[in-house]
Amino acid sequence: MKKFQNIADKWLLFLLILLWQATVSLGLVKPYILPSPAAIVTELFSSFKVLVYHAAITFTEGIVGLLAATLIAFITALLMDRYAGVKKALYPLLVISQTVPIIIIAPLIAMWFGFGIAPKIFVVVLVCFFPVTISLTDGLSEVDPELIDLLRSMGARPYAIYTKVKLPYTLSNFYSGLKIAATYSIMGAVIGEWLGGKAGLGVYMLRARNSFALEKVFASILIIVLLSIGIFGLIKWIQKRTMPWAHLQEDDHQ
Amino acid sequence: MNSCPPSNLLTVDALSKDYKGQPILEDIHLELHKEEFVTLLGPSGCGKSTLFNLIAGLIPPRSGRILIKGEDITGQTGRVSYMHQKDLLLPWRDVTGNGAVPLEIRGSSREEARKVVQEALEIFGLEGHGHKYPSQLSGGMRQRVSLLRTTMFSKEIMLLDEPFGGLDAMTRFAMQQYLLTVLKKIKGSVIFITHDIEEAIFLSDRIYVMKGAPAHIVDEVRVTLKKPRSPEILSLPEFHALREHILKQLEE
Repeated sequence: MKKFQNIADKWLLFLLILLWQATVSLGLVKPYILPSPAAIVTELFSSFKVLVYHAAITFTEGIVGLLAATLIAFITALLMDRYAGVKKALYPLLVISQTVPIIIIAPLIAMWFGFGIAPKIFVVVLVCFFPVTISLTDGLSEVDPELIDLLRSMGARPYAIYTKVKLPYTLSNFYSGLKIAATYSIMGAVIGEWLGGKAGLGVYMLRARNSFALEKVFASILIIVLLSIGIFGLIKWIQKRTMPWAHLQEDDHQ
Repeated sequence: MNSCPPSNLLTVDALSKDYKGQPILEDIHLELHKEEFVTLLGPSGCGKSTLFNLIAGLIPPRSGRILIKGEDITGQTGRVSYMHQKDLLLPWRDVTGNGAVPLEIRGSSREEARKVVQEALEIFGLEGHGHKYPSQLSGGMRQRVSLLRTTMFSKEIMLLDEPFGGLDAMTRFAMQQYLLTVLKKIKGSVIFITHDIEEAIFLSDRIYVMKGAPAHIVDEVRVTLKKPRSPEILSLPEFHALREHILKQLEE
């Protein structure tokens, strides 16, 4: 019953795909302008091997970048929370770093890091660490000061206050930031690949576009969407496993 | 200094505190004896909680001392336990885990701490609830867990800051009786904060009446009503006499 409900909830998606197919099938739009969903899926199967090869590279860049961004975010957020001076100095710089258009500095990144996997990971880190850092920093500063005073009155040292209160308290904030970052991660890797490289979905897409193989471009987009949703879902799954107390009410109703 | 006989568990001696240049507490003297229930009674915002923060060592005084059994502990944390009006339970820990926090801070392993707490659940009327999370408990039950956690840190000197202020009247009355029952079992000594005169009389052995700006102690009232206290006490003439007396002190 629940499965059926899940499918029924996606009616808008199905309707749009149907409309898209109809528009192309009826000849309202030429297939070389916009390929039909059926043509894209056919392409997906016929060049499956090549797509998987490129997707694996992009996926690796995205995941490694996301993990590195999370690690950097943790260190940055903890330092900013512990030392008010660091926060005052660093917070504005973090915001500024997000206003720099990546497409413009992209060629520079290639100059600095070459054409290997490093510049791609750098771009992913650049777009992913910001939402995680901000959500962590804000979460850490929102902990009830009375709760911290209570632990201090017990003689707790800063380490205990972080491990027992502040970090667990920030978990739900952290996952919100991480989910935003996850949706950026694959896109970041693809942008990184546009800068130049030998493999990856971004490279594949550029080649496909230059030879006007639009089904191939759209098949790549479909893979990017699926990968991003996959990482997003994985984080949701981890969140549910690591925060059992947050789902008690839901369980009670079932 | 001969004002600290050995029967004094806690002595607050000539304590004064400023806030932003203004004196808020002036020359506070009070004492707590073993297994005694002492209440600080006064209007909201008169500085009672500041006095608690001073005793807990969270903030330094302008002048004066705080002594435990004659030892100067002014400005030291970790010597007394502290319970707030908010239950301040950790939502990600179950009842046992919340009770275990102070033991872990003192260096026990998680397993050891849980074991100690599990053995204490019954005294606090929490048997069978050890694995529940705070979000699954009522306000009264959450305050029971909060009291359990407080005693796990120390039952020698417990500071209770309006612990039942956030509860409805029925639950509150039940919790007052519950508190007295638990204290008798664990032989705890308590300083309690409230602005509710009847609550103060019902619970206390002695009451310090505080008021003014800067706040100071205007009266010390000994409550000689028999123990254990039962709800019938509320209708005794002595109870009303005490209430009239304290009301007058506060109104003057």
